[in-house]
Amino acid sequence: MSKAKTIRIGGGGGFYGDRVSAPINLLKTSQIDYLILDYLAELTMSILAKQRAREREGGWAVDLADWLGSGGITLLRDRSVRLVTNAGGANPRACAEHVLALAIEDGWSDCKVAVVIGDDLVGRVGELLESGEYLRHLETDEPITAIRRRLASANAYLGAGGISRALDRGADIVITGRVADASLVVGPMIYESGWASRAEISGSPLCGPVTEWADVAGDDALNLLASWTVAGHLIECGAQSSGGNHTGWIDQPDLGRLGYPIAEIGVDGSLQLTKPKGSGGRLSRLTVCEQLVYEIADPKAYLTPDVIVDLSNVQIEDSGVNRVKVSGAKGSQMPSKLKVSASHQDGWFASAQLLIPGPNAVIRAQVTDETLRSRLDEEGLDSLNICTEIYGGGATVLPGIPIDECEPPEVIIRWAVSSQSRRQVIDFGREIAPLVLTGPAGVAGYSARPRPRSQFRYWPSLIERGHVESKVRVELLDSKIENLPRPLLNSMRMWLGQAQSTLEHELTDRLERMHRRAPEGRRKRVSGAILERLKGDT
Amino acid sequence: MQGTVWIPLHVIAIARSGDKGDHVNVGLVSRRREWFEALREAISVKRAIAWFGTRVQGKIELHELPGIGALNLMLHHALDGGGTVSLRMDAQGKTMGQAMLQARVPLAFDLALELDIPLDHVTMDEAGKIPFSHDL
Repeated sequence: MSKAKTIRIGGGGGFYGDRVSAPINLLKTSQIDYLILDYLAELTMSILAKQRAREREGGWAVDLADWLGSGGITLLRDRSVRLVTNAGGANPRACAEHVLALAIEDGWSDCKVAVVIGDDLVGRVGELLESGEYLRHLETDEPITAIRRRLASANAYLGAGGISRALDRGADIVITGRVADASLVVGPMIYESGWASRAEISGSPLCGPVTEWADVAGDDALNLLASWTVAGHLIECGAQSSGGNHTGWIDQPDLGRLGYPIAEIGVDGSLQLTKPKGSGGRLSRLTVCEQLVYEIADPKAYLTPDVIVDLSNVQIEDSGVNRVKVSGAKGSQMPSKLKVSASHQDGWFASAQLLIPGPNAVIRAQVTDETLRSRLDEEGLDSLNICTEIYGGGATVLPGIPIDECEPPEVIIRWAVSSQSRRQVIDFGREIAPLVLTGPAGVAGYSARPRPRSQFRYWPSLIERGHVESKVRVELLDSKIENLPRPLLNSMRMWLGQAQSTLEHELTDRLERMHRRAPEGRRKRVSGAILERLKGDT
Repeated sequence: MQGTVWIPLHVIAIARSGDKGDHVNVGLVSRRREWFEALREAISVKRAIAWFGTRVQGKIELHELPGIGALNLMLHHALDGGGTVSLRMDAQGKTMGQAMLQARVPLAFDLALELDIPLDHVTMDEAGKIPFSHDL
């Protein structure tokens, strides 16, 4: 029996904010065929949509440009690793152009960057309403017209079809917007199994039911898709499957150098998980099991745009040191509708925290809270929702689970407020610092007045596939494209936009570090005025 | 309850929790595949409702993954409106799984011996006040 073709796919990150160096480490320390990076969570899309509204070329995960520009692009080329990522966020095309510009700057002039678009529904709401698609809230059944004027983002979860077709057209790098996390892995597998080529030759729609492209019987194709989807689910959160965030943390060696996961996936549906040799952490049956149950609902029906997976009889066994074998995923026909993740602006938010020391720290914190609340009452701030939590005093303990009580030597008190009134949120922020001098003794830790930020509420919905699939396009960027963005300058512009958000300190630092790192010739492009302005802002 | 002892849930299970909109799921995996039976005995919707109290505003569902020996608790409306608007520091429910592992759960004494479950932290009641050894 000949061994079926096996593809090695590395999971280089779990969210926008994960270790920027992780994909570089993975590329340097392992032999992989593909690298996937998931940057998008529910909240991320609304933040990126807001950035795009402010900056024509913004709205994507600029961490991607950071590591690609710091040697990542060279590693991808030299090691013939293809990159598939949803870093495109709310602006996949701008992201792809930026990536291409980085490749060209690095001397990779024939780099093929593809972009998958068609998930973004914001500009199509009117048209969808006219065709009877009301994007009703999954729970309340309200039509999206209720929040249309405050709509920040609306994206359909695309499947793996577009990615696989982009790869078949020769893409080295595939940039997408909102695709289902696991589809980042399923896409390469559909391509490697030859299904995408069959679809290309027969001219099948880009985003149709991929089982129709398969060269095996329907049920077998569904089980293959299920197995590949499980592989995607297990590596799309980065090191969460290879020892990170693990209940058995106490037995995890060298978390500082924690290795990110690699899936070895057969075109026959076989699946093993491992991580780079010599990396920190320990990947085992339990670390992988823990990821299998992460963010699932009914295990008999794990829904993705590609296939419905029955996870209930999946088996996970140790098959070596830092090596686990996964089997038993069963697939059934994909759901008839696609999931939509929308969000809308809904009031203002701010939070603040203080350090409370000394004897009776918990009671001291409670008195501090009462003091603050009485002042907010007196000022008539009646539209504030206030949540107080005392960390060290049992804030995360569940109400019905008694624990051994002990007297903490100090606690942190944290308040978070929300309101439709921005003014009231600002006024809340002004009452925090005074507590240091006008509350119980020893209160410390005050930094800057908390600034209100927009709050986005999530609007989950479903949409008929046809309303989305007809709009999905794969574009292969032409390396002779004119007016490509100049990488450094454009990242700066975007970071400038972001710097106005809560991340401003961190981003300013990063910008300055990048400026210092940049070679002399490129440094000239960094406008001193922009840097000055950034410094002045913070 | 004769023949029943109480152990901290973390002795037999590991946990991971995360958000889906305003809902949280807590996955519980038995530390050894053959301990699944003990985990099933330990967890019920009724107990989960008592543990989470007002922290969960909607229904609680319990699902099984016998393949890996795991349970999945779906906690509906457990995030004060969802990860993007929750005022808690843990807006995504990430601590809930670990917090749940503090619970004491009942276990038939015979089953504990049969499955070789360590009994270091055993007590005779849920509150954990009376160490088992005192009663022997």
